[in-house]
Amino acid sequence: MSARSDRLIRLADDARILSEQDCESIAKRVFAFASGPGETYVSVMSWWQGELRWARNRTSLASDRRDIRLEITRDVGVGRGNVETNQLDDVSLESAVRAAERSAVLAPQVRRPPQLQPPLPHAERPKTAIWSDATYAVTPEVRGEAARALIAPAEAKGMSSAGYLEMRAGSRARLSSQRMGSAPAPWDVPYASWTQAQCSMTVRDKEGTGSGWAGLSSYDWARIDAPALAARALEKCVASQHPVALEPGRYTVILEPQAVAEMVSIIETSMYREIPEFGHGPWVLAHDDVLGLWRSKLGLKVLDERITISHDPADPMLGIFPEFWMQPLTWFDKGVLTNLSFHRDYALQMLNVNAARRPLTGYRMSGGPTSVEEMIRTTTRGLLVSHFSNIRVLDGDSLLSTGLTRDGLWLIEHGKISKAVKNLRFTESPLFAFNSIDQMGEPVPVFRPVKNAYEENAPLTPAIVPPIKSRDFSFTSTIDAI
Amino acid sequence: MSLNRRLFLKTGVAAAALAAVPRPLYAQFGGAPEPLPPIEDPRLASLAARALDSAKSAGAAYADVRLSHTKMRRFFPLFTYDDEDMEVGVRALVEGYWGFASGPVWSPDEMARLGREAVHQAKTNALGKPRIVTLAPAPVVQNGSWVMPVKIDPFEVSPFEIQDELTSLDLFTRRTPGVGLTMNQASSTVQEKAFASTLGSYCTQRSYLTQGALSLGIDMRKQHRPDAAINIECVSPAGMGWELYSAESLPRVRNHSVREEIRQRMEEAREDAMLPVKALDVGRFDAVLDSSSVAGLVDGTIGHATELDRALGYEANAGGTSYLNDPFGMLGTYQAGGPLFSVSGNRSEPGGAATMKWDDEGIAPDDFTLVKDGLLVDFQTTRESAGWLRDAYLKGGKPLRSHGCSSAPSAVEAPMQHVPNLVLAPGREAGDFDSLVSGLADGIAIKQASLDMDFQAGSGLGLGNVFEVKRGKRVARYPSAGFLFRSTDLWKSLLTLSSDAQLRRYGVSAQKGEPPQTCYHSVTAPPAVVKGLTLIDPLRKA
Repeated sequence: MSARSDRLIRLADDARILSEQDCESIAKRVFAFASGPGETYVSVMSWWQGELRWARNRTSLASDRRDIRLEITRDVGVGRGNVETNQLDDVSLESAVRAAERSAVLAPQVRRPPQLQPPLPHAERPKTAIWSDATYAVTPEVRGEAARALIAPAEAKGMSSAGYLEMRAGSRARLSSQRMGSAPAPWDVPYASWTQAQCSMTVRDKEGTGSGWAGLSSYDWARIDAPALAARALEKCVASQHPVALEPGRYTVILEPQAVAEMVSIIETSMYREIPEFGHGPWVLAHDDVLGLWRSKLGLKVLDERITISHDPADPMLGIFPEFWMQPLTWFDKGVLTNLSFHRDYALQMLNVNAARRPLTGYRMSGGPTSVEEMIRTTTRGLLVSHFSNIRVLDGDSLLSTGLTRDGLWLIEHGKISKAVKNLRFTESPLFAFNSIDQMGEPVPVFRPVKNAYEENAPLTPAIVPPIKSRDFSFTSTIDAI
Repeated sequence: MSLNRRLFLKTGVAAAALAAVPRPLYAQFGGAPEPLPPIEDPRLASLAARALDSAKSAGAAYADVRLSHTKMRRFFPLFTYDDEDMEVGVRALVEGYWGFASGPVWSPDEMARLGREAVHQAKTNALGKPRIVTLAPAPVVQNGSWVMPVKIDPFEVSPFEIQDELTSLDLFTRRTPGVGLTMNQASSTVQEKAFASTLGSYCTQRSYLTQGALSLGIDMRKQHRPDAAINIECVSPAGMGWELYSAESLPRVRNHSVREEIRQRMEEAREDAMLPVKALDVGRFDAVLDSSSVAGLVDGTIGHATELDRALGYEANAGGTSYLNDPFGMLGTYQAGGPLFSVSGNRSEPGGAATMKWDDEGIAPDDFTLVKDGLLVDFQTTRESAGWLRDAYLKGGKPLRSHGCSSAPSAVEAPMQHVPNLVLAPGREAGDFDSLVSGLADGIAIKQASLDMDFQAGSGLGLGNVFEVKRGKRVARYPSAGFLFRSTDLWKSLLTLSSDAQLRRYGVSAQKGEPPQTCYHSVTAPPAVVKGLTLIDPLRKA
């Protein structure tokens, strides 16, 4: 029978990722190969990427790539085995299942494997905006044409442009053998397919004395105004040429939305309940010696009262992966820490609930009425920061971090941009910056693509972030890099 | 239960055999799918040829194809993960523009599709302004075949034995009160790769990469000291098999067993932790750096800065550019360091994490010098980027050739230039780190520095274990200290390098490109002394 070759998934042009039916049929075949009792879990993932990279004003590589990933977990009672593969023919699947069983048996019986998580309860999940036909439909011709149009203005001014365009589609489902027969659905994590488009570029002058960057990511290519990005990168490059050195010190800073998002990203990883409950991180209040546990700052005001960071999955700009509980969620409400995220393991063990609270991956940050121009006009002396790079957390408890400004830093004197200045290294905590706010502007979408198709917890990370003017931001040294 | 661990223990050899049974993956050579043959099988050459024919008839001026079959096994004391993938990628050049297409299916039809698609991708861009590519010559490799020599193929050892070895390391450290392994895992990868190009080259290779993440935590509460944490670096990524863990000693990695290394590092960490803690004196100090810190500095300052594509702006929108921003003007004239400072690149050293017989363009990499006696003399290149240096090479009387730095983690990713193994030439000082410290009258000593380089690799911030040195002795420890440096100034202030016998090799990963790719390479360096390093308190705000 030729069924074996029929079952080689081709990922043809009209079906570059796996469909829900594909995932179910693959899972069923896997389950059929499992010998003996015990639960089998299968994660079926697939992705397609259409990419175009350019540098020195010419496309350096255009590509089309597709792949599949299958994770098989076999629980055979004595232990658990995991195998990953990207081959879907029957023989490969069967041998993968055998390998998982072998590995399960080899797991030493020193202690029994932890219980697998029970399946997610079924719930109506709001439709979230994560799929765009416009993104999926972009052809290499469209990318080529777009890139030429983005390069042209920079080249015409004698500048050198480098950038990247990527359209991606992905799919994922996790199915369990025990649920296969049971109503209402066989999945553990429901099938979802998503798209992501990203466009970013860096324009530099030929001598390397100025550099400007602009970028945007969205699930929907139609929401990215690429020519506007090209104009912005070029404008920043021209304005940032021949910077002068400025003494490190404390400055009032106007952080553009991208820079603010990079500050928030430092906070993101600390936003789990487990961290303060073990006495670590910025959200520990104090140790309760009577009860013998750590109290957290939940319910206390920790940031400027103008800051609210929340997420509504129904927001058409903020679609996220529908595998979490999908209620609207607020992490910071008018500066008060109101929610910390937790994993399903934590929920099951500590709260006896089978629901993770989703992490701070997609969010909207509140803003204010002040435009960046107005912020500049009302600044006597300060710095305008395009964005940051090479950020590293130095102290997990205060979130004190260091990093560099990049692609445009300007001195503001008496309400006007007076000169481009050399990049600076900062040593500052976002908590300090977000407690020293003067003004806030209108929140806008920023560049926050998921870089790796398999970044499991967050295949989409949209954020809408305002520009902020903050006082006394600490810069500790000057760097020559441009 | 029919199978359990005890049974495996009893059956020993049989268990090993069972565990080592390869999972048969399947490929199609025209008919029904059949078990994937060894990479040397001639039918793979015909699959590859199919892709090239398709690309040529679609209009490619040049095309190459890679087929990769990657097996990875991750080991933890209590379980293992297996991962096995097959990929194929075709790259085509049309009028100076590159196109690439890749996927997971090995079949004649898919080869033909990928060949066509790669050309299609290139052609859509060739519609624009001309782009000129001069590829450095590629000597034809006819039916080349190479297998990385390893002592112990990790896939021929029972995973169970390896799990036991990790468990035994855990038990070994726990014998000492207050000590435990905070991280204890290992992984081995074997990658089979076939490469073919329209120039007529065809070669197959099998390479290995083994690495461990092994770190110790030491509870010092009884001594009223903060807890100590140490990375055991002798299991960093290497082009080796399981001997990375099991060998009694490995040249340039360790002179004794992993256990002995752990024991020594525990002792050393205790001694270090017992030193009095001192408030930091900010300023400039002569500094002794251990080989790990020196290797990190070579990698951060030279490894990324001498990537020619990066220096010319091809990474401007990703990791950044380079302080060596005028390659043509700087070659042979730029002082990247003092006379003691010489760095070379290679992909040939046994055990190197970037070691290969041929690169992803079918080029046999050569051993080449990047910096000679402080002078910048070359860059890391591929066939295309070597072409950019043609005039400079002609002027310098050097042949136009690629240094063979093209690679990619697997065939699904397009090949690009990645860092080769780097070696900092040793000096004359016979002593090790401690003896360099004993020769320092007044200054600091730094162990296991980790670096944050800027996006042109021209300056950086180092963090690590920093000690005060007085009259040749480490007398105090700075709880919070870092150092700032400019790449060129740092190497110009190099005072002493230890000799050949003190060289140590470390495996590191490096990310590059859009979409990002992670590849591995090794950096070999001895301990060193530098003059006037700027010591700062990294936690201090302005």
